Amino acid sequence: MDYHFSPEEFFAFSLRDIYSRQGYSLFRMSRFEEYDFYAGAKDFLTSKHVLTFSNPDGRLMALRPDVTLSIIRNIKDIHQLHKFYYDEKVYRVPHGADAFREIPQTGIECIGPLGLDDIKEVIALALETLCVIAGGRRYVLDAAHAGLVASLVNGDKGGEILKCLCAKNVHGLRTLNADERLIRLAEIPNNLEALSEFDEDTEELMKFFSEEFGQNFRVDFSTVNNLNYYNGLVFRGFVEGLPEAVLSGGQYDGLLEARGLAGCHGVGFAVNLSLVRRLEHD
Amino acid sequence: MINIAFPKGRLGKKVYALFEKAGFSWPGMTDDNRKLVFTHGDMRAFWVKPFDVPVYVERGTADIGVAGKDILLERSPDVYELLDLKAGACSMAVAAPQGFRDNSSDTLRVATEFPNIARKYFASQGRDIDIITLRGSLELAPILGLSDVIVDIVETGTTLRENNLCVIDRFQSLSARLIANKSSYKFKEDVISMIIRRLAVD
Repeated sequence: MDYHFSPEEFFAFSLRDIYSRQGYSLFRMSRFEEYDFYAGAKDFLTSKHVLTFSNPDGRLMALRPDVTLSIIRNIKDIHQLHKFYYDEKVYRVPHGADAFREIPQTGIECIGPLGLDDIKEVIALALETLCVIAGGRRYVLDAAHAGLVASLVNGDKGGEILKCLCAKNVHGLRTLNADERLIRLAEIPNNLEALSEFDEDTEELMKFFSEEFGQNFRVDFSTVNNLNYYNGLVFRGFVEGLPEAVLSGGQYDGLLEARGLAGCHGVGFAVNLSLVRRLEHD
Repeated sequence: MINIAFPKGRLGKKVYALFEKAGFSWPGMTDDNRKLVFTHGDMRAFWVKPFDVPVYVERGTADIGVAGKDILLERSPDVYELLDLKAGACSMAVAAPQGFRDNSSDTLRVATEFPNIARKYFASQGRDIDIITLRGSLELAPILGLSDVIVDIVETGTTLRENNLCVIDRFQSLSARLIANKSSYKFKEDVISMIIRRLAVD
């Protein structure tokens, strides 16, 4: 039988296969969350807009802008390791757009008592995901450490400093009198010497991936853009020919704590499959 | 191939001169004609409306571009801001008719071409405002009573003085910035860094 898949479906199925072989199980959204559920975590959501509707019982509901929050809601036992992957549509107003879009998104979440090996597994899966999407093109996973940035960004100019860091705006950081160490991190791309600034675990991780994946893994501090919920590694994946990051993720212990799961660890990433259509595949 | 978006107009001419000085030029680029796209070697340059430069760069049609800080603040594109070219230095300011006193019990009527910048500035002052977005000749708005104050780019202040207006607060310094698409930067970093190095040598 001949099947005809759209590029989004093709990649969604390929990635599902990869994740399930690594022991991740499928998480399905079968119902809608209430609007308040998302309103309480607006800083975490990349788009502040939530598409709402009224339930017949009068409750204000929302079309999901995000899947991670719903997965977290289902975690009951924080002493057990949970590994989920999902393949859903999310509803957002993309940056610079003026209307909601339906975005096919796939991703994984690994939640529980995480060890270094679990984080390594997630990063390796992120790189494998990029490799599949790139289909022979170049790709790169940029990574940084949100905790390290948080320790260097403070004071009432913190927000402005973080914006400059995200934009690799070194002249702006100087004007704002940002910490010299932060300016060094922003200034030098793939600054492996800066690894010594990390805590031991992160340093080991970053070195491991730099050696393992070479050019495809880079330390880049412009990756950090949310210090409220991300605490450890944050990363973002780019494929040559796609104008924006196709993959983004990180360690979000802060989010788990804010959602009532203090002491629980989480790491994961999401893939924006609406972009893959722009790559011409043979 | 690397694509570069230049802003049409006065600032664009100044910026193009900086590129020429750094050894980058495109034959015919400054001629008085209607051609918009110029290729030289593996570099393609094009003129676009200044306000549109961040759009071309954010969407990857241009790998790099030059935009005024005013436009970057107004549009907040998700791009890298790699270099302050220092060309076209001026400031964003609040100006009002001579002798103006803010009666804080009323909503302040603010005429501007930069509604987002104005909104952010007055929010930081805790001031309630009514934004009137105009496309130029802002000095006219307070003279005719359309607005109480204006938020606009001020260079020397001559136009303001001639119209009996004065600067109340210069709150942001502006100049031309070199911006880059985040993804392009990953894969064309060698060329982009080379361009920056040569532009940065003063």
